[in-house]
Amino acid sequence: MRSKSILTEAKQIERAVTLINLGARLQVLESETDLSYERLLRLYKEVSGKSPSKGQLPFSTDWFMTWQPNIHASLFLNIHEYLNKVAELDEIDTVIKAYKLYQEQTTAQNLEALLSITRAWRLVKFVDNGMLTLTQCSKCGGKFVTHPHEIAKHYVCGLCSPPARAGKGKSAGGIQMH
Amino acid sequence: MNADQVLTEIREANLSYLMLAQSLIRADREQALYRLGVTEESAAMIAMLTPAQMMKIASGNTLLCRFRMDDDLVWGLLTNHGKGSANDTTNRLHASILLAGRHQEAA
Repeated sequence: MRSKSILTEAKQIERAVTLINLGARLQVLESETDLSYERLLRLYKEVSGKSPSKGQLPFSTDWFMTWQPNIHASLFLNIHEYLNKVAELDEIDTVIKAYKLYQEQTTAQNLEALLSITRAWRLVKFVDNGMLTLTQCSKCGGKFVTHPHEIAKHYVCGLCSPPARAGKGKSAGGIQMH
Repeated sequence: MNADQVLTEIREANLSYLMLAQSLIRADREQALYRLGVTEESAAMIAMLTPAQMMKIASGNTLLCRFRMDDDLVWGLLTNHGKGSANDTTNRLHASILLAGRHQEAA
């Protein structure tokens, strides 16, 4: 174990607990703390009362490009950027705080928080690696998640010009167009 | 509303604002910066205010907080004027994205 300081470890455990409560997958905890896999597993069971879900993390950027997820991801990333600009926090703390604000916003509007904390964390990594970015919509001026090298002059966001089938789904908590 | 009432109402609004702002900043400074849309410097000052100082600042004939969505686009989305195609929730979501993208007022 790298962390020798008990205080550092306490902080990491606290962070891990927050992440577990937000529904983070074990891989997020492994990447963001120095705690050992065994300890994280025990912590996970203790906090959530169940075993963590197994399997790979979704690692494609495609999900963020579909209509509804794109809107949710854009809201989260705008909040994240805002916090990044105004405050100096550890990266993972920015993700946690931005995610909580995003969750509040969706709850306030009776929407399901489509973006999970794991996806939100992934999104930030994708942006750091230059695989995704924010592009300004040429119509409303809002910033939305896109692939890099999107031609900004012609880019129109999914809310200014929704695709034909958008918002027709009947699922509760989804974004409706009518 | 007569002049006295105006002053009383403004003081009440200012006090509520300052008290809310202070408790938000003390609870979570970074999230408060987002919620309030104020600079770090302003937040630091508000956080330090004593009740007596607060009372003093709150009294006056001007409000201490200002309107944050002073443009047609966001205003239209929030009040549901303008384009009629999208529904209320979607418009508010759109407005939230636009507002969250504006950190220049805080920068």
